[in-house]
Amino acid sequence: MTLSVVAGEVFGFLGPNGAGKTTTIRTLLDLLHPTSGSARLFGLDSRRDSVAIRARLGNLPGDFGNGPTASGRELISLLASLRGVAGLGRAEELAERFRADLDRPLGQLSRGNRQKIGLISATFHEPELLILDEPTSGLDPLMQEEFLALVAEERERGCAVFLSSHELDEVERVCDRVAIVRGGRLIAIERIADLLGKARRKLTIELAEEADVAAELRALPGVSDVESRGRRTTLTVAGDIDQVVKALAAHHVTDLEATHPSLEEVFLTYYREGEEER
Amino acid sequence: MSAQVAALVATHLSDRRRSVLAWGLPLGLMSGFVVAIFPSVEDSIRKAVNGYPSGLKEAFGISQLTNVEQYLQAEMLSLIVPLALGYLAVRAVASGLSGAAESGRLDVLLSAPVSRRRLCAAGFLATAIELAAVLVVTGLLTAAGSVLSGAGLSAGPAAAGFANVWPLALLFAGLGIVVTGFSLRTTIVTGAVAGVLVAMYVIDLVGRLDAGLSGVRYVSVFKYYGNAIENGIEPLAFCGVTAAAVLLAALGAWLVDRRDLAA
Repeated sequence: MTLSVVAGEVFGFLGPNGAGKTTTIRTLLDLLHPTSGSARLFGLDSRRDSVAIRARLGNLPGDFGNGPTASGRELISLLASLRGVAGLGRAEELAERFRADLDRPLGQLSRGNRQKIGLISATFHEPELLILDEPTSGLDPLMQEEFLALVAEERERGCAVFLSSHELDEVERVCDRVAIVRGGRLIAIERIADLLGKARRKLTIELAEEADVAAELRALPGVSDVESRGRRTTLTVAGDIDQVVKALAAHHVTDLEATHPSLEEVFLTYYREGEEER
Repeated sequence: MSAQVAALVATHLSDRRRSVLAWGLPLGLMSGFVVAIFPSVEDSIRKAVNGYPSGLKEAFGISQLTNVEQYLQAEMLSLIVPLALGYLAVRAVASGLSGAAESGRLDVLLSAPVSRRRLCAAGFLATAIELAAVLVVTGLLTAAGSVLSGAGLSAGPAAAGFANVWPLALLFAGLGIVVTGFSLRTTIVTGAVAGVLVAMYVIDLVGRLDAGLSGVRYVSVFKYYGNAIENGIEPLAFCGVTAAAVLLAALGAWLVDRRDLAA
């Protein structure tokens, strides 16, 4: 798997459960050792140069925890000592911004509030690379917005952000490019607009009068699952919907609804492509 | 000591500050009580011990119970304190490694530029300090029991007796790091090391009771423990067991460094 994430880029890392996202991240962080081959980050070997690599990154693990008794402040103070960072100025600013309680024991915080501490501990030292595994898990919508704003600011600062997520909406809003993995292998790397353009989406068309458009639509490339009932027709389109719109031009369309593809549908598109290529 | 190790040791000790009192208070109160009642039970104890079989006296390191130091050795320092501190040692070291892995803390710490070997070293050092602190609390409460009752416990020999437990307990901290190299489950680490602790005690006991089996005592750290309250600390045994503990910790750190830290 070769991925290049450049400074000032937010890179999404997508795949269903068990695809190998977390395993990849843990290998890069030297928590897991490759059974064969090697992993490199910043051009450095993940095993031999692990400490030097980790000095340059910030990481929010998928299951952020710190034991029941320590507070966020104690954890971040320790991380600051380990990183040689003097003072918690930026951590305090971020805590205020995320309304995070740094003084309560982490064991007494809700999942969302613990996640805020995790985000602060990953970003307070202004790393070159930020690795975030399911970062908004547990955050309320308001804090999710704040998080997306923070990621955008990190990008502006020149930080490369590597984001593993299940939330397509979040990926769509913040990522420049995405990689899709399956079974530990890279299926595709796309710009986010191309990814969504390729995804299969469901269309529901309503005409002013009953008309037999099913045969005409079925003949279009990329169109499948066409079903007509009275004035209403539903179908699935892979790629953009321009050809469907043009085919319907001769009819009076009263309504056209395109369902935003889910992440699973995006995966399905790429997995089908992968299988067809095989 | 590097700044990283110092920070990790300070955090470990802060996390476990309650444990010093949780272990030191009951052990110290029990020990202080043993010393305090000695003047009132001295005669009956002496008569009872005279009737003990010589093998039993040998097994528990009791030649005679004619003074409070010998009584403290027999009641506390031959069994209860070493076993309790050995178990505390593995619990303490496990809290910083396998316990941290289970809670997710290890992933967070290892996101920072710190090596696993330093984490292990810090856990071992913090445990060494925690053990010393528990022994100090226990010793002070024992001394208080003596002062309050007028038992006349000699400070030097008593201090030697408590200090002599330290390397023995530390050995089990080192062993705990070795087991962590094979398992990141705290129950397995503490269970395995506690099993070795008890097995070593039993092996040493059997070796003392049966002269024909005395050779087996060499595999038990209790052979080198001795009776410091009566004979003083044996420097070779004290340093040898400490060195063995350090070597085990180093071996454990090497094993932990090589293993996967699964999610």
